[in-house]
Amino acid sequence: MEAVFSDEQNQFRQEVRDWLNANVPSERLPSLDTQEGFDLHREWERKLHAGNWGMVTWPEEFGGRGCSLTDWLIFEEEYYRADAPLRVSQNGIFLLGPTIMEYGTDEQKERFLKPMAAGDEIWAQAWSEPGAGSDMAAIRSKAVRDGDAYVITGQKIWSSRAVFADWCFGLFRTDPESSRHHGLSKILVPLDSPGLTVRPIAQLDGDPGFAELFFDEVRVPVDNLLGPEHGGWGVAMATAGFERGLLLRSPARFQAAAARLVKLYKQNANRLSSGIKEQVLQAWGDTERFTAATYALVAQVDSGASISSEASANKIFWSEMDRAMHRTAMTIMGMHAELEEGEGAIENGRWLDGYMFSLAGPIYAGTNEIQRNILAERVLGLPRQ
Amino acid sequence: MNLIYTSDQKELIDAADGFFAGEHTVEYMRHLLESDTDDTPPSLWDNFSELGLLGLLAPEEKNGLAQDFSVMAGIAEMAGNAALTEPLIEIAGISVPVLDEMGAADELNAVIAGDLKVLPVCGLSGMVSHADLADIFLIGEGGKARLIDKNDVTLTPLKSIDPLRKLYKISKPGDGLDMIDQRGTILNASFLCGLSKRMVALSVDYAKDREQFGKQIGSFQAIKHQLANVHTQIEFTRPIVQLAATQMGRCVHQAKVSSIDTAMLAAETAIQVHGGMGYTFEVSLHMFMKRVWALCGEWGDRSHHINILETMILADDAELGPGTTFNY
Repeated sequence: MEAVFSDEQNQFRQEVRDWLNANVPSERLPSLDTQEGFDLHREWERKLHAGNWGMVTWPEEFGGRGCSLTDWLIFEEEYYRADAPLRVSQNGIFLLGPTIMEYGTDEQKERFLKPMAAGDEIWAQAWSEPGAGSDMAAIRSKAVRDGDAYVITGQKIWSSRAVFADWCFGLFRTDPESSRHHGLSKILVPLDSPGLTVRPIAQLDGDPGFAELFFDEVRVPVDNLLGPEHGGWGVAMATAGFERGLLLRSPARFQAAAARLVKLYKQNANRLSSGIKEQVLQAWGDTERFTAATYALVAQVDSGASISSEASANKIFWSEMDRAMHRTAMTIMGMHAELEEGEGAIENGRWLDGYMFSLAGPIYAGTNEIQRNILAERVLGLPRQ
Repeated sequence: MNLIYTSDQKELIDAADGFFAGEHTVEYMRHLLESDTDDTPPSLWDNFSELGLLGLLAPEEKNGLAQDFSVMAGIAEMAGNAALTEPLIEIAGISVPVLDEMGAADELNAVIAGDLKVLPVCGLSGMVSHADLADIFLIGEGGKARLIDKNDVTLTPLKSIDPLRKLYKISKPGDGLDMIDQRGTILNASFLCGLSKRMVALSVDYAKDREQFGKQIGSFQAIKHQLANVHTQIEFTRPIVQLAATQMGRCVHQAKVSSIDTAMLAAETAIQVHGGMGYTFEVSLHMFMKRVWALCGEWGDRSHHINILETMILADDAELGPGTTFNY
């Protein structure tokens, strides 16, 4: 057990820091859930790519740097320290990219990974359906084989980024006789396909952060099948593991927020009730716990172990930590908490935005109730219902 | 940067775990509880010496295994899992390295051989468990470690709710010393993690066994989610404790606070899952739960460590945010 960074790691950190210092926009970009913000975030992805900082964990052959996960944590620490923009390419970098590397054909790797890395093609998810949320195996949208194409009919919902993105990846029922998690396939679909209607859904903040997708006989070449036909559940589970686990939320994001929270507390300390101090310390302490646990998990993965159900504990912890931390900020701001911008608004409403976003954490990527079931049944060995 | 045990380190921890699980069983503890003076089950101390546990942290040239302190933290977790009743962790994990640092070669030798018990004292409380077993006490006084013969102190028995650990107030507790207190705090936190884990395991066993409404109660989400919560808290407490064992510093205090919160949650959840049976003296849970209550206040209670954290985190020059977790 060793808690010291190597010279190479320190050098890498410095290199990241120097590049970010020179390149991070001086002003925070508008929300990526607006057209203007989305375009600016895409520009930022292109800039990252030009500096070869876009996909640090990807192998070099696919436009990445081939960094270890420990290096990735260092990169993230510098990224959030620099308060760099959110990653509009996140679905691609962390979810679809690794899945294509694992399951894709050589042609698919060639076709999809480079534009994804370059920010030229931004990806949305298309998993949930109105009747298939936590119960994802209840998916009904079907993809019927017709010659060298699939014809897709059905409806998807909660499709993050879909309003402005270029492509989506989703699970569709390819075997009409099948039920539950059998007979599903993972298929990649251009969002401008004829027959595909994207209906924006306004989020809590009013911005169209996700969408409903209506598929009316949308034709997609069979080459867009990712992984085995009818074997999409297994492919999706691999992606879900990435999402719940390590790769979606690194500790740095929360550590940066906890440091801001301490600052906010100190600025307001003289008018706050005494219990708030301990909530602030709890927020800081939880981010430290999350950091230590993530470095430990990453060391296991770097040494060849694979993560599975551990990802569920991870997701529960960061999402509930994030919500608690932002609730504390809301409490501290008190009568100013509701102000979005302008006079009286603190940090231009950033904590309020963060609080709203934190409320989604325990819901997306598999609700925390589902994660608790997974832990209880697969890790603790309690009987299924 | 590599926050996992090497395979050699893991082997040592697993070996200790295997020994505790095989010898320091619930039946053994029950025997201790029910025995009168003529019928006391045998001490495991000789085995600790033979297994090399007492000399784990001592240098090789002093008959030790020269292991990192983090390995002792791993073993302390296993000892907690077994609710070990003898002061192995305190003596091997605190006294041995301090005796070595003090240059007390004779005492070190005798301790490693299992012939002498040097028991560390936490200056904060002046309360020492197992003090009746000690030959010598190790205290911190005026910034230095000091050894005091048992005949030079007065021990007053205290009545603790924990039935498996004799507790005393010592007349000369000293005023504490970082090299004693930091180690004590970390090992105590590790022990609490082990106790937490065991209480979850006991609860899982019970929930698989007990049926109501024609079903195992462990199949109900109301039970599952409570135990999943505790599991999650344990998984996010152990690493900060291991980090504390590896680098010391401010995370020592966080490790203790988190292990207290986790262990109290584990104990309360465990008794809830056990239902009425958890409230009995007959079911084993109480032995683990009471140890939690006892250990939470040892080596600095929650308020002590929170107060230190407050000073550190709210200081104007505190380094916070990404990249400030490790000493580099």
